[in-house]
Formats: sequence, structure tokens, C-alpha cells
Amino acid sequence: MLTLNHFLVLGAVLFCIGLYGAIVKRNAIAVLMGIEIMLNAVNITLVGFSLFNTAKPYSTYLTGQIFAIFIITVAAAEAAVALAMVISIYRKRSTVDVTDFDMMKW
Amino acid sequence: MALYSYSWLILFSPLFSFVVIVFGTRMWDLLSRKSVEATATHEEKEEAEEESDIHEMKVQGPKGEDQTFLDIEDPKVPRLTPGARISAYLGIVIMALACIYSWILLLASTGVIPGFPMPAGGVPVFSYNWFTQATASYTLAFRVDNLAISMMVVVTTVSLLVQFYSQGYMERSSGYARFYAYLSLFTFSMLDITFAQNFLVIFIGWELVGLSSYLLIGFWINKRAKPDEDRLSPASASIEAFITTRIGDVGFIIGIMILFTSTGTFDFAQLATRVGTMDKALLTTAMILVFCGAIGKSAQFPLHVWLPPAMEGPTPVSALIHAATMVAAGVYMVARTFPLFAAAGPQAFEVVAWVGAFTALFAASIAMCQRDFKRVLAFSTISQLGYMFVGLGVAGSAYGPGPGMFHLFTHAFFKALLFLGAGSVLHALHHATHHEEQRMDKMGGLAAFMPITAITWLVATLSIAGFPFFAGFYSKESLIGLAFDSGHYAIWAVTLFTAGLTGFYMLRAYILAFGGKGGAWGGLWGKAELYRGEGHPHESPLTMTIPLVLLAIASVAAGYWFGIYGYLQPGASFDVGRFFADYKTWVGVVVSIAGLGVAYAIYARIEYARIHEYVESHAVLRTLHRILLNKYYMDTLYNLLIKYGVLGLSHVEQAFDMYIVDGLVNGVAQVITLFGRDLRHTETGRVQAYMIGFFGGVAVLAIVVIALVAYVK
Repeated sequence: MLTLNHFLVLGAVLFCIGLYGAIVKRNAIAVLMGIEIMLNAVNITLVGFSLFNTAKPYSTYLTGQIFAIFIITVAAAEAAVALAMVISIYRKRSTVDVTDFDMMKW
Repeated sequence: MALYSYSWLILFSPLFSFVVIVFGTRMWDLLSRKSVEATATHEEKEEAEEESDIHEMKVQGPKGEDQTFLDIEDPKVPRLTPGARISAYLGIVIMALACIYSWILLLASTGVIPGFPMPAGGVPVFSYNWFTQATASYTLAFRVDNLAISMMVVVTTVSLLVQFYSQGYMERSSGYARFYAYLSLFTFSMLDITFAQNFLVIFIGWELVGLSSYLLIGFWINKRAKPDEDRLSPASASIEAFITTRIGDVGFIIGIMILFTSTGTFDFAQLATRVGTMDKALLTTAMILVFCGAIGKSAQFPLHVWLPPAMEGPTPVSALIHAATMVAAGVYMVARTFPLFAAAGPQAFEVVAWVGAFTALFAASIAMCQRDFKRVLAFSTISQLGYMFVGLGVAGSAYGPGPGMFHLFTHAFFKALLFLGAGSVLHALHHATHHEEQRMDKMGGLAAFMPITAITWLVATLSIAGFPFFAGFYSKESLIGLAFDSGHYAIWAVTLFTAGLTGFYMLRAYILAFGGKGGAWGGLWGKAELYRGEGHPHESPLTMTIPLVLLAIASVAAGYWFGIYGYLQPGASFDVGRFFADYKTWVGVVVSIAGLGVAYAIYARIEYARIHEYVESHAVLRTLHRILLNKYYMDTLYNLLIKYGVLGLSHVEQAFDMYIVDGLVNGVAQVITLFGRDLRHTETGRVQAYMIGFFGGVAVLAIVVIALVAYVK
């Protein structure tokens, strides 16, 4: 039987994998992929909460799913912007290694 | 009544002329002078400006050589413009009208013009409610009564004569119109004190005379100091005068505040009735504090130091302000608050009398050795003001302010005469030697050149020395006798001795300037050969000698107003018969004549250079002379006191501000800077480092929340 905990555990595991990828990867593209995974982990959690909501009838309580759709939209936009930036930086510095991206320090 | 109630015209007329001169005729004067200047070529103009900055000019000396000297004359104003002349005429005409009106008031209130008796308590002439707060009202109220009229007559008369005289004396000086504006402002301020009905008004007038005195002492603003003659620059002298009197004013204002908080009124008449319920010790303290204001303004010991340097102002100013009127304001103020002093403990009057007696002796002894012509007169003024305070202090309620005011009245005339005569001498020497000369060792035998000045000066000398039948004789001897009669034997002895000193230093100054050994009248009337200076002096113009003659008449006649005691205090009277029958009068005369005689025996019978030699060769005399010449080193003492006391304290305060206050503020800033300098290294610019921080923080918070939830459960 599928319970809410399955969703939550899957979300948490995916989130941690994504976070790990975002923190340790040196390739900018890989970092972006990590971030996408984290966003999708959150989506799974939201959909899970929406599905197992018992306080109100299912048909009238779609907030979690609509939220997930919004996040997918925003994530697409974010991915487009982030990739454009990565390409731009690559053209300037011939590298996509995020440890080299430290122009904004003191 | 109507005659008295219109006397606000006297009060405000000098203010009117001040305003008209400052905004009208002086502007005209300045504008017309500019058009004269514009005709000069550019280079010449620049040169003239440079000169006026330092006020140094080169002129051909009498023998054709170039002489460089500091001058008080303005090279740019060879002739007076119509604007300047009209300023003077306006001031003089208005002052003449005020003077006539005040003499009419005097004659009416004494009963010479019948039908205008002065009501008891005076006549209010002008009143304006400044503001009211709670129950206390602050009113600018003016009132005329007998005391005010007697002072008003002095102020307007001397002011008129001085303004008339200044036409000659200030003829070549820059800022002629400005001078008349300041004189008018001063007269207004002085009349404000005279008409004051409450402490508020008298204090405003008090500060206004301080201001006009400051402006007039520093009138020749570009003149430099003369250290070899121990003379300050007018600018520093004016600041010294202003600040020293301000020290006394601190006491004055505290005294007024004590009286106001205790009784709730400033008004003299109301105060006189209400102080009866006041604590006696507090009232005495308040009155002594009020007297501190008089000490400052009337240059009494220990605040006398400002008056001698104040002689750097133009001589007519010295005559008007620093001899006849403003310095007498302190005396007038004590006379005005006489009922309050009488209601206080006897210590109040004791302080007044003793400060006066000590100052009289102190200043007279200094005057004996001064070489500067005007400085002798300055110390003589201090000494005579001391006499007036003795007169007020020992009179008691039986005599009232009469004796002190009588001496003020006579002194105003003969001291104004002495100063104007001195001005006439300085004016003549200035024209003869082409530089400013005030040292008496450069004078001598001047009677041959300027007989009118000499004879009027001799009259004033005899009057101030108390020679029989001159004005000073009546006012001073009666005052000294009164000290004895009231039981102040020590004060009597001091003032009597001072009378001898007065005779000595005045005749000494007269002979050093006008006479000398070998002159006519046994040395009293000099010859031309006795003149020790350069050039050839001449008698001053009529504008200057006419006031001298008029004042000489007043210097004799003023003493015959015996009614002044009863005029100022109903019931009191000056008993002429008893005065002449009293042996003490004649003791005083003998002492004064002894002083005159010693001065005559020394200075008219021995050459000046030999006296000097003799004093220098005698150890004791030399030391004494040096101490007196240096004014008991009071100035030096004050300089040291300020240098080490006041400035030392300021250094301590500065150090406190620099190290403690600034240190606190800068220290906090420094600590924060240090923190910031090290903490900024955490800002690496790498997104992943921030991410670790962010998610690490969230993780820590999550653990905390879980722990808390578990613990609370």
C-alpha cells in the first residue's frame, strides 16, 4: 500500500542527492542538474501531500499539484537563464568550473 | 504731571538719532566717500587699501625726513563729507533738546519752576508688557523720579558737551558718522538705566552700555598695541573691558534671580515692600551679588583692571563713558536699590563701603606714579568711584543715597572736564608732533601754549582735590565726615588719607603737563622752554574749548546744590552751617592741601629729570615706584591666573575630550573595523560555500526544532 511516508522519504532522498550534487560537483552544468533534482524532490513532496490530504475533498484541494506545476514552469525558466549564464561565463573564461567563479568576493 | 510723563521723549531721542545716523546719514557719508575714491587710479586705490589695513603711513616730517608711524587718522578722509557733518549736527541738536528738557525737569522738580511738584514714587512714563508667564509679568517699564532726573541731567549734559567737543577732536578721524551713532546709542542705553523701573530694564540698559562701551573703546580698530608704553591695542582693550564687566554681571544676574524667585517681582517699588518678608541672610547675599555688578561696571577692586586700558578709546569717549556716566551706573544702581540694601543686613552696606574705601586708596596710590596722562585720570576715576560707594555705604537710611549721588553729580562735571582737557592736550600734541603722545615726560610747560585748557584743568584739579569752595570740596568732605559720624572710623581714616593722595597725584599731573620748575606763579604756569616734547603745540579750536569753559563753571557751581540730599530723600538735608563749623571738614581740607603742597614742593620746585634720578638712586623708593608703576602687579597676576588657571583647566578639559570622549567613540569604531577586517574573509565569492552555509544553517535549525519539540513533549 502506498502511503504518504513513501512519498516523503522519496522526496527527502532525492533532495539530499540533489543537494550533494549541487555542493560537491565542480562542473556548473552538474550543479544545475543537482538543483533540478532538488526542485523535483520538492514537487514529489507537494504532490504527495496533495494526494493524501483528507481534510477536504480531493477535487477541491489541488493546491499542492498546482504548486508543482508552477515550480516546473519556474524551473524551466531558471534552467534557461542559468544555462545562458554558464555559456556566457564559458565564453569569457573558457571554463565551467564553479570553484573558479569567485569574482564576487571581497 | 504732563511735564513729567512726556519725558520718554528724552529717553528715545538718542535712539532716534542712532537709527537715523546708522541707516541714513552714515550711508550717505559712505556713498559720497566712495565717489571720491573712484577718481583715484586703480594702483593708487590698492595702495590706499593696503595702508588702511595696517594703518601705517609715511609722511614728510617737519624737517623733511620720512617718518613712519601708526596713526589714528584716515588718510582717505581729508575733509568731512556732508553726510558725516549732518550726522554730528543731528546728534548734537537732539541731545541739546534732551538736555534742555531734562534741565527743565530738574528745575520743575526742585521747585524753582513752581507748580510742578513731583508726586511721591515718581511718574511712570512708558510701559510695555513684554510677556506674562504664570503669575510673573515681564514688563519694560520706565519711570521718572528725582533720582532719575538728577542722573538724567548729568548724562544729557555731559553727553551734549562731549558730542559738541568731538566735532573738533574727531575731525580728522575715520568713521566720524559712526562715532556719533555709537555716542547716541550709548546715551540711549545710559538713559535706559536712568529711567528703569525694574531690574529687567536696568539689566538690559546695563548690557547695552557694555556693548556701546565695547564699540567705542575699540573705535580705532586698526591701531596697534604699544608694548613699550604698556598700552594695549584698542581692540584688545575693548575685549578686556567687555569680559571683565561680564564677570561682575554674573553676580548681578544671580542676585536679581534670587530677588525675583523670592518675591516674584522685578519692580523696585514692589521689591522694597516685599523684601521685608524675605530671609534676611538670603537678602543680604542677594544684595552683595547685585553689588558685584556694580563692582564690574564701576571698576572697583578687584575688577578695576579694565578701566585703564579702556583709555585706548577716543578721549571724548573716556570723558563720557569711562569717567562721567557709564562707570557711575554702578553707583546709580546702588542708589536706586538703596531701600533694598537698607532692608538687608548691615553687612551689605559694610561690603559696599569697604570695597569703595579700599578701592579709593588702592587706585589713588597707583595714580601717584603713572606716567601716562590719561591713565592717571583713569585711576583717579576708579578712586573717586570708590568714594561714591563709601558715600552710599555709610549714609544709612537717615541720609539716603544723597551723599553718594552728590559726589557722582559733582564728579561727573570735573572728571569730564579733566578728560576733555586731557583730550585737548593730546589733540594739540598730536598736531605738534604728528604722532600720538600721552606720556607726561614728553609734556611740560603747556600752559604757555594752551592757556584755556590749562586754567580749566587747574579748576578741575582743585575741585577733585577738595580745595575749599570748589564743587569737590562739598561733596567729598561731607562724605568723609559722614564716614566718621556714622562710626566707620577706619573708613574715615582711609578716605581721609586718600584725599591727600588725590591732591598729590592731581597736582603732579597738572604740573608735569602744564607747569614745571621756573614757570610763572612759582612753577604752576609753564613757559614755552619747559616743553619736553617736539614741535610747537597750539590751543585747540573753539569747539573744544567752549565745553571746557562750561564744564569749568559747572565744576565749581555743581557743589552749591545743597538741596540734593533732601531732593533724593525726603527729610534728609545738607546742613551748610554745620558743615562749615565741623572741625572734620577742615581736617580734610588740611590733608588735601598737604597733598597739593607736597606735589607742588616736589614737581614745581625741582626739575622732572632730577626727581626721576633721585627715585632711581634710592632702593626703597625705587622698589615702591616700580610696584606702583606696575599697579601692584595686578595685571600680571591676572595674566598668570588666566594663563595657568583658566588655560590650564581648559587643557585638562581638552585632554578629557580628546582621550576619554573621543576615545570612547573612536574605540568602538576601531573594534568594529577590526572585526570587519577579519570577518570579510568568510565572503569567498563561491556559490557552493554559501550553499553549505545556508543548508548547514537550516540543518542546525531543524535539529534545534526537533530537539525542542522532543524536549517540550
